Formats: sequence, structure tokens, C-alpha cells
Amino acid sequence: MTATVEKALLIAGIGMVGIFVFMALFYLLILALDRFLPFHEETPAEELSEDSITDEEE
Amino acid sequence: MGLEQLLPAIAGMTWQSLVMIGVGLTLIYLAIARNYEPTLLLPIGFGAILVNIPLSSAITQIDPATGQAVEGVLNVFFDAGIATEIFPLLIFIAIGAMIDFSPLFRNPSLLLFGAAAQLGIFLTMMFASLLGYDLREAASIGIIGAADGPTSIIVASRFAPNLLGPISVAAYSYMALVPIIQPPVIRLLTSRRERLIRMSSGSARKISKKALILFPIAVTIVAGIIAPSSLALIGFLMFGNLVRECGVLNKLSLSAQNELASLVTLLLGITIASTMTADRFIRVDTLIIIALGLFAFVLDTFGGVIFAKFLNLFRKEGNKLNPMIGACGISAFPMSARVIHQMGLKEDPYNYLLMPAISANVGGQIGSVVAGGIILTLVPFFA
Repeated sequence: MTATVEKALLIAGIGMVGIFVFMALFYLLILALDRFLPFHEETPAEELSEDSITDEEE
Repeated sequence: MGLEQLLPAIAGMTWQSLVMIGVGLTLIYLAIARNYEPTLLLPIGFGAILVNIPLSSAITQIDPATGQAVEGVLNVFFDAGIATEIFPLLIFIAIGAMIDFSPLFRNPSLLLFGAAAQLGIFLTMMFASLLGYDLREAASIGIIGAADGPTSIIVASRFAPNLLGPISVAAYSYMALVPIIQPPVIRLLTSRRERLIRMSSGSARKISKKALILFPIAVTIVAGIIAPSSLALIGFLMFGNLVRECGVLNKLSLSAQNELASLVTLLLGITIASTMTADRFIRVDTLIIIALGLFAFVLDTFGGVIFAKFLNLFRKEGNKLNPMIGACGISAFPMSARVIHQMGLKEDPYNYLLMPAISANVGGQIGSVVAGGIILTLVPFFA
């Protein structure tokens, strides 16, 4: 096995592990964002103000 | 007055120039008649004709009268757009603006297929080094397996500019040939029972806008801290995505997805062709690179499918993955997802694999860019 092939093998090993590490980090990032910033139905600003007016009147 | 004086181009024509003009015509045919990546193959094909007509003013020539070099416009484009990496990076902004990461948020575990399906890059790099290519050239050939044109161009232009022409042609041609390359490999690796496995789509769940805005920023910071040399690739992709998701730059987002993508792709294609001169292209190397590119795509598919089968060893019955999804971990978006969806429907008309396939395919888009960044970081250390 030549020195170049040995180096290529080493890069292949580190590279594949590196990609999985990156993707695992991005996976955790998605889980964290999804957990701490869950989807909420946004209420339009106009509706909000009308609701608050109605509440105050009541 | 002889023919040489009247029509110097005809007098200077060699069989190599004619072969290259034939290659250009073939690429144009594939783009128009077969619709194979027409946005890239058509300009590359036309450019191949432009640069292989003897004495073409499109490329740099030596003026016989003065002995001085007269710069051709394609060489000017090459120095300004590819040698500096500006064209591929601008394409990344456009691609980023086109990517919707919502499917990944619905099926985040499928992101890992974007890693497994990069196997072809590294195995092809090893194989190329076995064939005698030095490390930089081997890495540039291996990156064809990223199934991502701009990443291939950036890596090849930095490590092996002499091989840029065949590497670009192989990368874009095989991306167009995904519907032909992947199905036989997948059928070979999976049983019919496995191909019939149904998966939940998770498509109904909505994703928070804030999460989608923060994702590209966070990915850029994480990637930058771990591998700063990958930042040009990942950062431009994520910048494009931020422009898309931020909600206040809709016009810019649309411009990036349409005008910017079209214009830069056009320039990128015709500029790559400046490297396709007969003396550079008609070599045994070109055939080897094209064969290794196919090898890389086959190994990518192998990596993704085998990884899915491996994960299934640990999953309960009823919650298994359809191993075909693994093949979508390559970057050819949305071609690969469509191919897998069609294969699923062929086996069972009620098996809709499109959503999980899209999720894995988006993972592949990130994976290929990460792989490019890792190659750019690691190879200089060892070469």
C-alpha cells in the first residue's frame, strides 16, 4: 500500500466520521429548535386588538 | 493565396478538435432531446464547440504577428468566476434560497442518510489514489460522488484545475442520470418485502417560522466553529436559505431562486467549457474520471441503502425504514426523491414515500456540502 493510499484511507475514515458528527449535531439542533420554538398559530394583529377591546368593554 | 491563409480554422482543424466538437454536440443533444440537466449541459456543450474551433477568439490565443497573448473572454470568465470560486458560491446562495428545510424538521432522523450516502466520495477517492492519482486529484475525482455540481467545481478548481472539465461534465451528467443509475443498485440490495415497507410522512405538522430562521444561522455558527474552512460552502448555502426564510426579503429570495440561479448557471456552464480543449480533454484520464464518477454514484446509493438496512436491525416491526429511502441521501434534489417515490409506487400503488424521501434528500444537500468542506479541510493537511 502506497503512502498516498494510506493517507486516502485515513481521510476516508476521518471524513465519514466527521460527516456523521456534523449531521448528528444538526439533528440535535433541529430537535432543540423544534422543542424550544414550537409552532404556534399566529393571530393577526388586527384580531388581537379587536379582542382586547371586546375584553375591556366586557 | 492558399487555404491556410483563407480559412485558417479549417487548416488548423485536427481530429481531436473534431472529436471535441462531437462531444459538444452530444451534450447539446442530451440537454435538448433528453432534457438531461439542460441548464448546465447545454452551455457546456456549446462552450466545447466554441473553444475547439482552431484560433477561436473565445479563448486566449497567441497572436502570430506580435507573439503576444490575446485574452479570450472565456478565460477572463474563468479567472474571475471559477478560479476565485465566485460562480459556484453564488449558485450556493441560489440553491439555499430554493431549499425548504421543513421536511427535515418533520423527520430529523433522516438527516443521517445525508451522511451515509456520501460514502462514494471517500471510497472513490481511495480507489483513485490506488490508480496512481495524487491525493488532491483523487479527492477532486471522489467529490463527483457529492452529486453536487458547485461543490465538485469548488474542490476541483482548488485541488486539480487540470481535471476540472471532465469532473464537471461527469458530475452534472450523472446527476441527470440518477433515474437510470439508482434503481438497479437499489433492486440489487433490497428484497421486494423491504421495498414494500410503508413509512409515515409526518407531513401535516407545521414548523415554527422562528425555528426555520434560526436553523441556517445556527448551522453556520456550528460549522464555522468546527471547520472554518468549510464556511464558504456552508455559509453561502445557509445565507441563501436565511434570505428565503426571513420573510422580509421576498423579492431578493425570488431573484436568487430565478434570475441569479439562471444567470450564474449560464456563465458557469460556458466558462467550465473553457477547460474542455482537445489537448486537455482527449486523454485516458477523462475516461477514467468518467468511470470513477459512475462508481462514486453507485457507492453513494450503496452507502445509503445499507445504512437504512443497518438501522432496521434496531427498529421494531411496524417502525422499520424502507431501505430505498437511504438512496435519497445524495444531493441530487429532487430527482433522487422522485425516483424512490416512483419505485415505491411501482411496488405498491398505495405506498407514498415522497415526504420521507424528500426529507432524506434535503439531508443529502446538507451532507454533500459538509463533505466538500471536510475534504477542503483535511486534504491540505495530508497532501
